[in-house]
Amino acid sequence: MKRLLSLGPVLLSLAVVLSGCKPSAPDSGSTAPAAGSTSGGVPKPLTVAFLPKSKGNAYFIAARQGAEQAAKELGIKLLFDGPTEPDPAKQNEIVETWITRGVDVIAAACENREGISTALRKAQAHGIKVVTFDADALPEARSFFVNQATPEGIGNALTDEAARLLQGSGEYAIITASLTAGNMIEWQKAIEKRNAEKYPNLKRVALRPCDDLKDKAFAEATAILNANPNVKLLMAICSPAVPGAAEAVKQAGRVGQVKVIGLGLPNENKRYVKEGVTDTVILWRVVDLGRLTIHVAAALARGELKPGATEVTAGALGTFKISGDNVLLGEPFKFTKDNIDQFDF
Amino acid sequence: MKRFGRELSVTASLLVLLAVLAVTAPAFFGKQQLLATLTAAAPVLVVACGMTLVILVRQIDISVGSQFAVCSIIAGLMARAGYPMVLVVPASIATGALLGAFNGWLVAALGLPSIVVTLATFVSWRETLRWVREGEFVKDLPDRFQWLGMGQSAGQGVILAVAALVFALLVYGLGWIALGRRVYAVGSDREAARLAGIRPGRVTWGAFVVLGALVGLAAVLNAIRFADVDPKTGTGLEMQVIAGVVVGGVAVSGGRGTLWGVLAGVLLLACISPALVFLKLPPQWEKAIQGGIILVAVAADRGGRSRLS
Amino acid sequence: MSTAISVGKPSWWRSEFFLVGVLLLEIAIFSRTGSNFATAINALEIVRLSAEIGLLAVWMTPVVLTGGIDLSVGSLLGLCAVCFGKLWRDAGLPWPVAAAATLVLGALGGGLNAMLITRLRLPPLIVTLGSLSLFRGLAEAITRGVDNFTGFPSGFLDWGQGYLVGGIPAQAPVWIAVAAGVIVLVHYTVFGRALRAIGHSPEGARYAGIAVNRCVAWVYVLSGTAAGLAALVYVARVGQAKADAGTGYELLAITAVVLGGTSIFGGTGSVWGTLLGVASLAVLRNGLQLSDQPGELAGILTGVLLLGALSAEVGFKKFSARRRASVTLASSNSPS
Repeated sequence: MKRLLSLGPVLLSLAVVLSGCKPSAPDSGSTAPAAGSTSGGVPKPLTVAFLPKSKGNAYFIAARQGAEQAAKELGIKLLFDGPTEPDPAKQNEIVETWITRGVDVIAAACENREGISTALRKAQAHGIKVVTFDADALPEARSFFVNQATPEGIGNALTDEAARLLQGSGEYAIITASLTAGNMIEWQKAIEKRNAEKYPNLKRVALRPCDDLKDKAFAEATAILNANPNVKLLMAICSPAVPGAAEAVKQAGRVGQVKVIGLGLPNENKRYVKEGVTDTVILWRVVDLGRLTIHVAAALARGELKPGATEVTAGALGTFKISGDNVLLGEPFKFTKDNIDQFDF
Repeated sequence: MKRFGRELSVTASLLVLLAVLAVTAPAFFGKQQLLATLTAAAPVLVVACGMTLVILVRQIDISVGSQFAVCSIIAGLMARAGYPMVLVVPASIATGALLGAFNGWLVAALGLPSIVVTLATFVSWRETLRWVREGEFVKDLPDRFQWLGMGQSAGQGVILAVAALVFALLVYGLGWIALGRRVYAVGSDREAARLAGIRPGRVTWGAFVVLGALVGLAAVLNAIRFADVDPKTGTGLEMQVIAGVVVGGVAVSGGRGTLWGVLAGVLLLACISPALVFLKLPPQWEKAIQGGIILVAVAADRGGRSRLS
Repeated sequence: MSTAISVGKPSWWRSEFFLVGVLLLEIAIFSRTGSNFATAINALEIVRLSAEIGLLAVWMTPVVLTGGIDLSVGSLLGLCAVCFGKLWRDAGLPWPVAAAATLVLGALGGGLNAMLITRLRLPPLIVTLGSLSLFRGLAEAITRGVDNFTGFPSGFLDWGQGYLVGGIPAQAPVWIAVAAGVIVLVHYTVFGRALRAIGHSPEGARYAGIAVNRCVAWVYVLSGTAAGLAALVYVARVGQAKADAGTGYELLAITAVVLGGTSIFGGTGSVWGTLLGVASLAVLRNGLQLSDQPGELAGILTGVLLLGALSAEVGFKKFSARRRASVTLASSNSPS
């Protein structure tokens, strides 16, 4: 009896799964892998798989918001899945399972350029179109990269903003997500380069990882401020670190003396920007990034977008320039006290 | 003195670390940094006190980080919905107790191994939370949430006082109350405890419930330090807490260890990360140093004793 | 409650019976809901993608059989992966040499655990908790977290990305050979019996003439070697080596072992069960994704599955114990 009782939860949960899945639509049967988009008389809706670096991350949730909007506009089926923590091996696993499932396009934000390219090349070999967004793969592993900003663009914008606030000289510290995160490393390099080239009097005195946790970012920022009394600016380059660093400055009672800038989402930082703790939050319009990515993916799958094109139209979003194989979203955007209320993501 | 070998070796390690800091980076002992280190360690200590009970009865709970996140989010959502803090705090504690009671029920009543039960609940709660919240902060909390509306220094005082109170109560409870001695009895020899008229199942279950309630309390103590709640809060807490407890000399085989050792262990681990910032050591060494200190602290005590046993 | 698990006649096949049921149920459901789930290609993909966890899990089984645990395997995988990259790229060794050195390194890492556990008689949980941080920390320190090794020769990458005849992934033979080796070692040798004896009672095993320390040491060394091997398979499959490789794999491996019916207190369990555990978790993840379900569900169901399997086992034991008791009661009425 006990055994039967304990089987209950398993059966129940599997039943939940079963009922959660749509009663297999006639075209998604387990027969032919659906590589082409239009294989019969009735056009099958395109299936686009959208791969974030990790789930449960507000940044990618905002991107998904845009992607869903675009999917509705275009009448396509959108799959959203990713690893729970940013992990290149798990990203590969997910892409490989999508290859088995059969999707038309994969839109991937790559945690690790070389790691994911292995799987993306395989997808292309199976006739799946590949675009990347947010962080690129190797060029031969995808057709287009929806480029929200180059590492140089981000690094320059951050460094320039730091230099502006510090009037060209002073000590600053960086809080990053983890020492191993691919894009963080590229941004750090870009920041270092810009710093060395243009602002010889700007000095980075500390670099600390916060494991992508706000609470830890706060602790790190507090320690940095106390250990380096001359630090005049905190630069937080992962989104949870920006409010964490701002809170640390606020609690240290050094608002105004220590500036905070960073890459983050407007919603998470509104409070601090309005209070004057955080000066500038730099980011692109993430929702538009997701939306544009899906438009590019759909256009690519439908053959409307070919290599060598110089621009692409993304519905109501407008027309975007293509440079080489990079679809350009536009310049990074600076959210400040004056404009942050206009954004909701 | 041999009886307190680990307590002494850990306290010694802590003192060495503090001495090094006093010489090379006296700013570590500045009022602000000291307060920040202690208020950050307070919630960890509260959870560690509960974990000590559970490990003393020969069990373990690796789901505390996930419980912590669930309690924090519930506290945040309730506060935002307009409930007064006098309701929010008990609700968080009750949530924790409930989650602990579930673990405890599976362990004590069904006889399942706690490491596996809590591995399962660790994954399940965390993933459910991720599914529901999708990483979104609980924002726009009312002013009475941060520092309970009392302002920073009073708030910090409350956090430290509550943690100290919990610690003192448990030290007293474990040392001088029959109920506390039962915890040691069950952990040392379950069968003997049973024959002595103790109900081991109840004591075990109780330990999990107390741990859960303390996790709920710690979640509030941590959350009120900030203006919004990160759903990923508490990630890795189980490692911090278990490492603190076992480094502090509580035997994973149950029945042996004191809260004083746990206090030293938690403080030692809480100081390492900020200490590295002050010592200006490159951050990539942090994990290696942490692992090294755990192994050395544990081995030092054992190295001195193994000849005897 | 430890008595319920560790004492009594070994009924390991029952938990495997349960898992076979779960596996069949999963297959039945996902064949309906998943796109291209019930295909030979997908079956082979599942084998391919479960190789690393599988390697760690089958070697974790003997560790758990002795009543120990090895939390450091995921971190050791990361350390071995970056050291392999370092040896191949920076030291300029040919990849087979670097690969052999990586296995040795894995064995050394396991040896460190073994030494602390057997010489200093520290609990494995604490030792490997410490080495979990230590190995990951060393991997980060060696690479400063930044270094990423890529561009491995295709002769090496084929081991993780290539396919043999009939679409069989190249890592499948390695994976199967290792699993078979562990099965033989654990179930058909004196060494295997010694491990169980140690798991039941180290003292008793010692009195029975078993070199307890040596056996336990070997188990951790082999577990470390497995982490080295898994690191090679990982690097070959993903095509890159970085300090974060294998984060959290220890929990997946332990989950598979425990799901497979091996008692966490040691003494009872089987490698077959672990293989079934690996399979049911891999099928669950794969099937849910092919059914377009969110990945979080896989995590939640893993937890439910663990609790279900354990309750089933305990419930069954109580049930059979009660029946045995009532049978002996009935039969004892007549003779005495």
